[in-house]
Amino acid sequence: MKVHLQLFSVLREKLPTEAMGRTVLYLDEGTTLAGILTMLDIKRKVVISLNGIHQPDHSHEVQDGDEVKIFSAVSGGADALLLN
Amino acid sequence: MPHGYNAKILHIDLNNSQFSVEEPGEDFYRKYMGGSALAMYYLLRDMPPAVDPLGPENVLVLALSVLTGAAVSGQSRMTAAAKSPLTGAIGDSQCGGFWPAELKFAGFDAIVLKGKADKPVYLWIHDGEYELRDASHLWGKITGEVEAVIKQELGDDKIEVLQVGPAGEKGVRFAAIMNMSTRANGRTGMGAVMGSKNLKAVTVRGKARPTVADKARLNQIAKWGADNLSKSDIAGLSKYGTAETIGANQSTGTLPTYNYNRGVFDKWEAIDGTTMYDTILKGAAEGMQDREGRDTCYACTVHCKRIVEISDGKYKVDPRYGGPEYETIATFGSYCGVDDLAAIAKANQICNKYGVDTISCGATIAWAYEAFNQGKLTTEDTDGLDLTWGNADSMVKLTEMIANREGFGDILAEGSERAAKKIGRGTEAFLITSKGQEAPAHMPQVKRSLAVIYATNPFGADHQSSEHDPVYEDDFEYFADRLDMMGFTEPQKPRSLSNEKLRFTLASQHMYSALDSLNLCQFVYGPAWQLYGPTDIVEVVRAVTGWDDIDLDALQRLGERRLNMMRAFNAREGLDRRHDKLPEKFFDKALIGGVSDGWKIDRNEFETALDTYFKLCHWDVETGTPTRAKLEELGLDWVADQLNL
Repeated sequence: MKVHLQLFSVLREKLPTEAMGRTVLYLDEGTTLAGILTMLDIKRKVVISLNGIHQPDHSHEVQDGDEVKIFSAVSGGADALLLN
Repeated sequence: MPHGYNAKILHIDLNNSQFSVEEPGEDFYRKYMGGSALAMYYLLRDMPPAVDPLGPENVLVLALSVLTGAAVSGQSRMTAAAKSPLTGAIGDSQCGGFWPAELKFAGFDAIVLKGKADKPVYLWIHDGEYELRDASHLWGKITGEVEAVIKQELGDDKIEVLQVGPAGEKGVRFAAIMNMSTRANGRTGMGAVMGSKNLKAVTVRGKARPTVADKARLNQIAKWGADNLSKSDIAGLSKYGTAETIGANQSTGTLPTYNYNRGVFDKWEAIDGTTMYDTILKGAAEGMQDREGRDTCYACTVHCKRIVEISDGKYKVDPRYGGPEYETIATFGSYCGVDDLAAIAKANQICNKYGVDTISCGATIAWAYEAFNQGKLTTEDTDGLDLTWGNADSMVKLTEMIANREGFGDILAEGSERAAKKIGRGTEAFLITSKGQEAPAHMPQVKRSLAVIYATNPFGADHQSSEHDPVYEDDFEYFADRLDMMGFTEPQKPRSLSNEKLRFTLASQHMYSALDSLNLCQFVYGPAWQLYGPTDIVEVVRAVTGWDDIDLDALQRLGERRLNMMRAFNAREGLDRRHDKLPEKFFDKALIGGVSDGWKIDRNEFETALDTYFKLCHWDVETGTPTRAKLEELGLDWVADQLNL
């Protein structure tokens, strides 16, 4: 099945520069949003928009023709610096 | 010998050009640390209640902290505080840039200004010396020109200039204080206060860097930040600026649109930070925007500031005036239905040239747009301007008219609440103000704790006074590493106003309040997603000052102290729980479209949450005023005495 993917902000660096954050993914049936994150090696905290609506459940399976947009949540990732 | 600070506060009475230098002891700095808390000390001590905010009796404090100027990211910030001409309550605003560090190097930790000069003057502080100089030739000039003239006049290109633009001179109630012509103490009209004192600028230069107690420790912290920035999620902030959040906010239904009637804007991609990066950042045409289109503050590795350059087309933008932040893009953009990024950048430039808060300015224009689109205003009211949603030309023109107090702009320069009162015709229904200050671009209908914060915050609706809900909600990835440490282990349901959510809200409010008293940047330091977490904040304080007994609890107390002093200031002015209100529209009108379709705030739930919040604060639930017991616990007996508690 075919899914339209668009990445924003620093996530765009997961694709070649000339792609400008856009690509089409050809996926197996049953692929989840979490599966897409794994495929792209995205480990940051993200906000995912599925067909224009926030989808917080990353176990959600995508469907043929879906439009997936992934944003970096302005949110952590760095480990706390524990000097003590 | 103190580490990190000068132990010198400069007092100036502009009525008679009298200077004095106060040298507080270590106990004072340990208790108030700097910034907002230190400013509150002087405002409560030196200003009687009920003064005219634009009269000579108002006191304006420009304050740094014990950390300002240290060689670590996110510390070169300054608090401007006075009674606000916009709200009539406490005014408080923070800026970044190089000016804060330079004032520290020039020998002072804060400047306390009272009175009014009999003609325009500017203050020149250098290497411990200070003088007032004539500014008649600078009056009426825009920020970039003033900066150039002063640097030439004083013969040093490295002088840092803090100033009011023409908007501050003309008493625009949401005028900003500017530095570098790009950094603003934007909120609550501090520029109007400075202008009312005939004080055009405060220029600083110095070479005396305060000592640091443990340089190796501080270097280690600074290096860790630089090494880990690209791995952190503020990496996006660094490369794409605050506007990178447009898309995520659209997706989660919290991008205020059409004056807060919607949480989604169908043309959001046109104004997103990624689009700005690709199109109008300086150097974008040559792919050089990473180098040319970003800017930073003293010693900060993050580089979150934008520089826009537009040479062609209807809206030309000069890079010396920087580029728009997320808030600016939202207020001039989605709030007004405008999808033209060049027009938004132009409005931002006008604000930076004339010294205007972009949030209140854009939101006030959006209020006028709604009134016009609802038939309550016509072109007869607006000097012929068509305020149909999305009209970019009118938005830019109105920004200029507000900055110059021209025609309809003169009415809007009073802020939307006063404008609605003057015009009437039911336009009050379109207000999005709390205590007279226009709401920033984070929606309490979606992030429910902000309903309590916007309503109760002593200086009006504010988005940087607490951590927002998503980090402690169970449909968002949880920041266990940091929040556990602060005792928050049970993420709450989305849009809840549970007791646990409110406990989190107040604790994070105390932390943000402490950050504004340490003058630390809230993108770099904070409780959850920021580059540095709570433990790191403690480590920075210890490394700079040598006060190894300072712990997280002490810093939370600092934040609580500052918040209580602000509420006490408002109580002196006659403000209480009756003034802790939200715009009626937030209760009455459900949002339209997107994921937040149908969402609004339940009035009963909100009032119950206020009760709980005041109980958690240990304030009087009926009045929302701090109790004597709480003030004494915070070492503020003298403030309790002022309130006759």
